[in-house]
Amino acid sequence: MGREVSESCIDSLLTEMVSTYCNRFYANKPELAARRIEAIGYQVGHQLSERYTMDRPRFSDHLEAIKFICKDFWSELFKKQIDNLKTNHRGTFVLQDNRFRWLTRMSIDQSPENGASEDTSIMADNKAVQSMHLYFPCGIIRGALSNLGIPCAVSADISNLPACSFVVRIKA
Amino acid sequence: MIVCVAVVGYQNNPLYIQSFTDADDALKLHHIVHCSLDVVDERVNNPKKSGPPLNETFLGLLYPTENYKVYGYLTNTKVKFILVTTDLDVRDADVRNFFKRFHAVYVDAVSNPFHVPGKKITSRTFAERVSTIVKSFGLSSAG
Repeated sequence: MGREVSESCIDSLLTEMVSTYCNRFYANKPELAARRIEAIGYQVGHQLSERYTMDRPRFSDHLEAIKFICKDFWSELFKKQIDNLKTNHRGTFVLQDNRFRWLTRMSIDQSPENGASEDTSIMADNKAVQSMHLYFPCGIIRGALSNLGIPCAVSADISNLPACSFVVRIKA
Repeated sequence: MIVCVAVVGYQNNPLYIQSFTDADDALKLHHIVHCSLDVVDERVNNPKKSGPPLNETFLGLLYPTENYKVYGYLTNTKVKFILVTTDLDVRDADVRNFFKRFHAVYVDAVSNPFHVPGKKITSRTFAERVSTIVKSFGLSSAG
């Protein structure tokens, strides 16, 4: 019943959304832009989790809900599962995706041959832009988990592209 | 026949209540739905050994009152669907089927970007589809 959209449309939409919020709407306020993007992701995650948990029995604990995010939810969104899940059994989970779909088209910095200062500031800018693109998936994960009754905070870590890790901290 | 369907959010706030008969008092139906919420909570928190397993979404017959039977369904997102019916013998499979279709319609209504989560569902399409499902429930169980 649903209509389908090509994947490149989604990629372009997300790229344009991040660039619009960062460069036009909140031009000099990256924290506000980040929060707005994350809030959009939150609502999307909220609604998607409603749809993808429709035929499943209820989850008995937090770990099952996180496993659902790693397997079913991630495969519905990105056609693959999370590659690695780590936990400290005290409410923190690290979800690692070795080839995050929305970052595959993003250029990866080559390591500089010499440590010139201009290079490092450019690299820092690039890192900032890359991290902006991750607020949306962080919001999606946070929205999905809150809808399942698990309030949490989600942050992303992109120390080695195209792999990326999402750190989920469950609020006690 | 179905008297009333209700959708209750996870903070026990009503999201949608619709009655399908003119005769009965709307307040009484609200009261019945409200009482059934307690039964839902009790079923979820204290599973009986003989009852359905803890993780099922369909909770079954919650409690029979003088004229009505009340069925419950709890989704993964802690949203409760309550069905009040006056039929004397209703097949379990029919009610499960009803809730499945109702869940699909609910998911479509919630996916509306103009819908604010936690507020009442105001979509006319949702109301129309719900009444279609309610009418077809009556037909299938009569046959």
